[in-house]
Amino acid sequence: MGVLKSMTMTTENEIELRHVTKAYGNLVAVRDVSLAVPKGMVFGLLGPNGAGKTTLVNMLTTLLKPTSGSASVGGYDVVREAAKIRSLIGVVPQENNLDRYLTARENLILHAKMHRMSPPSYHRRIDELLSLMGLVERQKDFPNKFSTGMQRRLVVARALVHDPQILFLDEPTTGLDPQAKRAIWDYFLSLKGKRTLFLTTHNMEEADFLCDQISIIDNGTPIASGTSSQVKEMVENSWFYEIEVAGKVKEYVQAFQKMPFIECVSHQDGVIQVCLKKEGSLGALVEQIDLKDLKKINSRQPSLEDVFLKLTGRRIRQ
Amino acid sequence: MMHGSVCIWQRDMLVLKRNWLSEVATVLAFPLTFFLTFGLGMKGYIQDIEGVPYAIFVVPGLISMTTILAAFDDGAWGMWFHRIVQKTIEEYRVNPITVTDIIIGKIISGFSSGLLKGVSVGIALLLLTGFQFTLTHLLVYLLFIFLGCITFSCLGSLCGTLVDKPENLGRIEAVVIMPMIFMAGLFFPLSAYPDSVLSYIKAVPTTALFDGARIALLSGGVDMVYLGMLIVSAVISFILAVRVFEKKMHG
Repeated sequence: MGVLKSMTMTTENEIELRHVTKAYGNLVAVRDVSLAVPKGMVFGLLGPNGAGKTTLVNMLTTLLKPTSGSASVGGYDVVREAAKIRSLIGVVPQENNLDRYLTARENLILHAKMHRMSPPSYHRRIDELLSLMGLVERQKDFPNKFSTGMQRRLVVARALVHDPQILFLDEPTTGLDPQAKRAIWDYFLSLKGKRTLFLTTHNMEEADFLCDQISIIDNGTPIASGTSSQVKEMVENSWFYEIEVAGKVKEYVQAFQKMPFIECVSHQDGVIQVCLKKEGSLGALVEQIDLKDLKKINSRQPSLEDVFLKLTGRRIRQ
Repeated sequence: MMHGSVCIWQRDMLVLKRNWLSEVATVLAFPLTFFLTFGLGMKGYIQDIEGVPYAIFVVPGLISMTTILAAFDDGAWGMWFHRIVQKTIEEYRVNPITVTDIIIGKIISGFSSGLLKGVSVGIALLLLTGFQFTLTHLLVYLLFIFLGCITFSCLGSLCGTLVDKPENLGRIEAVVIMPMIFMAGLFFPLSAYPDSVLSYIKAVPTTALFDGARIALLSGGVDMVYLGMLIVSAVISFILAVRVFEKKMHG
């Protein structure tokens, strides 16, 4: 059972899952998950594609019913009181599901109308959000004329129109340039303490920057939970290095995997990432590398990606 | 309840209004082609049917055909597009409206679109033929068109809910809807069918619509059996469309 041990189930929790399982026939997408997110917290769910993150969000946003277990959002049960939950939440889905036959502004107006906002209040709010997202000049354009990043910003704006108490953000900054990403992160940070944010992401930097609590999920089950520092402590007895070699990357990776003092090894963009069980074993590792091939060795601080790699033997982004 | 339906209907009417000229041009082309080829081209070869000139005989059917095809298309393709391509149904579902609001909104949109397009074609054909009718005839005719439009908007929404591949929606239209229309006596009187076939033809809802609507517009008469059949068809198709959509959305 995946339980977020650092939190207890109380009435102050804005989001709670109790032994939730979601299965499609024999395929179990989410397995016996229990977790709690207190009011005002930014909670991050990390994991690779297919880990069950979106299924979990879909259950909490009332799009799917759990196969077993129970869940509540804002104190309301996701099955019995779905309508009440939907008036409290804002959702940024993984896909940019905008209406391409409505202009950017009309997309936001339709959302506001569904939340029964009055025209004066929704026009004021939409002006604020279009300005925040840098879309004022494009508000009369149709979303299919927008770049992916602009569409993403419009989806985020749409989720915020009715000023929701709880925000579900499924990979919210995917496709955004660093400047736009930073602007949205700053806005999310400004909501900290006032709104509850439930974020799923691949982006370790995003989770580190925004989240008060993190849960790493794999194959439908949380495998590590806590604050970012607590989770990183899981690899405190490991030493991390990046080794850059001139070619033969796969051969070196295979050779390193056979060495007893190697905890985990992976490679990306020609750089080999190794995690050693013992601090003094770097020398033995270097002896395995032909000095003609060796370009650079860097020691580095562990990241959340390393925690995932150590726990599962795989990278989050494969 | 119904607030969400109104939001969705308003959205669909805004999009229809924006594209009205191109929509009307497209919707006029099909029945006008039929009218020119059959109504005018064949009238020299076909005698009056039951005392009605052939060009006038086909007009009520062409209006009915336009109306129900537009209602079906709007219901089917509208639902399919929002569900599969844009995934806007998913966006609607995380708002404080119900799944029932969504399907009812879509059915009303299909109905409105069908009716508006049918009225446009009706005006064009009546101007072309100079056909005269009384207000009572028109009101009874509209009652039949209303019921047919609801039925086919519901059936379209049902198909758009169940069918995932666009080519299958096209197949349903070609293999089920079009034969139902042409068999219902659009271009010829039902009396042309042999007696052994006629009872089956009369059991098809499109026959109740096409024959019933024609009788209403040309003579002002109301065939109560046809009217009853259309009411039952509209109720059944509405219940089916709503229940199937609810079941699909709730998994």
